[in-house]
Amino acid sequence: MALPSALDPQQAWARFEPDARQPWTLALAGHLYRRAAFGASWPQLQRALAEGPQKTLDGLLRPAADVAAFNRQLDEYETPPGDDRSATELRAWWLQRMLRTPHPLLEKLTLFWHGHCAADNAKAESAPAMQHYLQGLRRHALGDFRALLAGLVREAAMFASHQAKANRKIQPSPGLARWLLEAHLETAAEPDVREAARAFTGWFIYADGLRYIEREHDAGSKQVLGRTGNFDGDDIARLVLEQPATAATVVRKLYRWLISESAEPEAALLAPLVMAYAKNYDTFALVETMLRSNLFFSPSAVRQRVKSPVEYALGLVQGLELSIATQPLGDALAGLGQSLLHPPTVKGWSGGRNWLNPATVAGRLRLADALLRGGPYIENLNLAAIAQKHGQPAASFFAKLYLQDETTPGHEPDARRAAYATAAQPEFQLA
Amino acid sequence: MSKNMLLGLCLALLAGRAAAAESAAQALPAQAIAALEIFQPRAVLGPLLEKETRATLALAPALQRATAKPEFQQFQVLVQFLETQLGADWPTALQKLTGGGVALGLYPQQRTVFVAEAEDETMLRQLHTLLWNCAQNQAALAGKPSPATSRQLGNATAYSLGKNEAHVIAGRRLLWAKNLETLESALQSTAQGGNLAAAADYQAARRAVGPGAAGMLYLNMRALKLAPGIAKALQPGGGNPLGALLFAGLGETAGAANWIAIGLHVKPHGLALQLSSDAAPAGTNSPAAFALPATPAAGALPNLTVPRQIAALSLYRDLHRFYAAKDQLFPERTSGLIFFENMMGIFFSGRDLTDDVLAQAQPHLRFVAAQQQFDPAGGTPVYQLPAFAVVLQLRHPEQFRETMEEAWQKAVGMASFTRGQRAEPGFIIDRPVHNGIPFSVARFSTGYAKDLTKLDVRYNFRPALAMPGNYLILSSTDGLARDLMDALAHEGQQPVAPRAQLHGVLELEGGKVAAALRANRGFMVKQNMLKGGEAKDNGAQIDGLIGLADFIRSARLTTGPQQAQLDLDFNWPPAAPRVAQTP
Repeated sequence: MALPSALDPQQAWARFEPDARQPWTLALAGHLYRRAAFGASWPQLQRALAEGPQKTLDGLLRPAADVAAFNRQLDEYETPPGDDRSATELRAWWLQRMLRTPHPLLEKLTLFWHGHCAADNAKAESAPAMQHYLQGLRRHALGDFRALLAGLVREAAMFASHQAKANRKIQPSPGLARWLLEAHLETAAEPDVREAARAFTGWFIYADGLRYIEREHDAGSKQVLGRTGNFDGDDIARLVLEQPATAATVVRKLYRWLISESAEPEAALLAPLVMAYAKNYDTFALVETMLRSNLFFSPSAVRQRVKSPVEYALGLVQGLELSIATQPLGDALAGLGQSLLHPPTVKGWSGGRNWLNPATVAGRLRLADALLRGGPYIENLNLAAIAQKHGQPAASFFAKLYLQDETTPGHEPDARRAAYATAAQPEFQLA
Repeated sequence: MSKNMLLGLCLALLAGRAAAAESAAQALPAQAIAALEIFQPRAVLGPLLEKETRATLALAPALQRATAKPEFQQFQVLVQFLETQLGADWPTALQKLTGGGVALGLYPQQRTVFVAEAEDETMLRQLHTLLWNCAQNQAALAGKPSPATSRQLGNATAYSLGKNEAHVIAGRRLLWAKNLETLESALQSTAQGGNLAAAADYQAARRAVGPGAAGMLYLNMRALKLAPGIAKALQPGGGNPLGALLFAGLGETAGAANWIAIGLHVKPHGLALQLSSDAAPAGTNSPAAFALPATPAAGALPNLTVPRQIAALSLYRDLHRFYAAKDQLFPERTSGLIFFENMMGIFFSGRDLTDDVLAQAQPHLRFVAAQQQFDPAGGTPVYQLPAFAVVLQLRHPEQFRETMEEAWQKAVGMASFTRGQRAEPGFIIDRPVHNGIPFSVARFSTGYAKDLTKLDVRYNFRPALAMPGNYLILSSTDGLARDLMDALAHEGQQPVAPRAQLHGVLELEGGKVAAALRANRGFMVKQNMLKGGEAKDNGAQIDGLIGLADFIRSARLTTGPQQAQLDLDFNWPPAAPRVAQTP
């Protein structure tokens, strides 16, 4: 769906207050949980319906639960052995965290940054390095983007993922510098990349992690983005943040992530957000503005994104209110094109319509079928009992839970068929 | 003879014999695929029904979860009602209702028939009447037609209290099946084809388990081998190398047997399960002959004993003969073993694995697993795995010692080189001396470790090779190698005799198994969270496993060419389960 041509930015970003013309509905509650979380259970939808959009958002943005304690516990669980080269278990723990966290928005944004600053364990070959990287993303996911970027240019997993394990003075590795410039400025001139790569010299990955060796650093003068100086890696990150394009790039990416990827927003629509973000790179404030807005709850946003495989699968699981074996799920998601901690390129996943092709659509349906049978994922799955627990007939319950729509009255299939039929709907592919 | 006449004859026979019953299997049709008969229910049930035991079992988390369900609470109300009406608590009633023996027969199409021989016929009939009235009253209260029905079968009446139950009472005997059709078919089969207790194979099986047995599991191998999956599994050569080595002869026995019986013997605070069959022993030309003790006095050596031992296994296996017979034992796998043989050729410098290497080993293999002790100063792995080792006796140690040392060092070197290619730390080979015997150990340096209290899993391994006298010890740790050298020195001072005609002795200590599980409980629960889904439930499963291991004081499995026996000693009464945090 195209955006209305004359969308007033002030009106678009103003807080959504439901009224008779645009009431707060189960469908909008479902929309909110698809974007700000990984789907919702029936009690969550019902609570959201009762509390209204802004109060529900209060809980999603600032949950009352002790998120820090939860994350500390999961950090402990997921800590891999020091010599673990595979990130399979770390990936499975991340999926557990997405499902169990009292702050799903934080994990949703961590996933966003993983796509933006994509580190790849196929290159890093170190679960501890990937855990450190992931913890850094989570720490700043809803915080200061400047701190996030400053951390990333000191992250072993990022150096390894950009084929910059050894940054010698005599042969600078351009990978990380190229990513830093291209990911934020859209394009980067080759001389800027070369000069920025010199700034990262001196950094090496050894058995004990990333280490700076002064003698290997090129301390000469560099010219990057029109500035001249004896820059190091931190300086390059700072120079990138000073570019007006950086805030615009991040805001546009977050718009695609949270609001719509089906229509390109006009610069004027994003201008107030870009201006505010460029001041202090406060990601929380940016996300809060987007999620609370009229635009977010408008038809221009609802079902205007294709779910990633992670969103698709976890959306189904959240509704079941059960624990799940995430190790086989991680493998299944990789088969659908989203192998967490192993993105296809340094640019992350293209997303959008690229998620869907005949093979992946068939794969999604196979996964839904397996999940709803229990398969290797869920023990003792009884779909009819879930519907019954909430006093609902199975067939209409799963349509309401997953699509927030009513089904045609008539013959009601059994619970699994009903849930599967719902998961097979085109609408369920959209976030 | 008409169907009704046959049934009448059968029921008359049933009731007549019940007065002087020898076996509950008399009421089962002879064509059983498998049958479980408990000859002495009091001996089996008695310890389980003791008040203290029941109180302890009630604390088990799994049972507590089950009893918390509304269905169980409804069941409990029914039991209390029956206790009042029968004038006995349920353990007493259960013993009176089954004290004469019970039998369960499995028939084609998953039909099962159950027989109970009551000590108290009055109580049996009283129970039937109570349940009959209950079914009728409940239906009346619900305004539904009664599910309780009856049908005349010959001169007896068969009753059904619902669609999943049907029974006949003949004297003190209760015959139960899932429905009236199965019940009728069972009675008819018994009348036409005879009863199980009278079948020649079943009688032979009973003789084999002996008069002292409290129960018996009977497997009709003639019938079971008709199932394609079982027939294929029992075909000679269908197994894998490890299975063929460990279970030598047992597969062949099962394949040749018409019946297999497992006798249950109740001991004070323990059980013994004894396997027997009618299969002829494997001949010296059989592929399984590598496990046949060569002389009447030959057999597996007693197990070695080391400190902190979890389990030990002693086998009588002629490895040279075993590998030479690989084309008969596991023909489908032999092409896959080419890589293994090539590797062995590299380690043993071009020698033939069968004739030049395996032929050096005498037919005595002893395996040991033991808990490890870690010196905090040297570091402790975050997950603590047991150490394990194999001990062989060499025929010509003076010729083979350096060949073996060279092969071991090559293997360690190759592992180091492979790790080195990935910039990972390799092994350091040391040559320490223990009681005057030099041996080799490969270890990882802890110089890289950031936290000595949470070392990586690899620090559980310090592979060691020791060759004291004519023995060869291959151990996962130098600590266990040292303990085994001490055990062998002790054995040298007090020589042991082989266990004549036994080719396998497995012994384990439940407490040590429980300790090893407990040490890694957190790890296992976390793994279950990722691979099993339900953190809480899987934690309880692991706790249940730990509880079971704690309950088994010791287990001992002995196998011979024709027999196998499992002896279990329990820590009786069972200890109250420990409640652990998850994970």
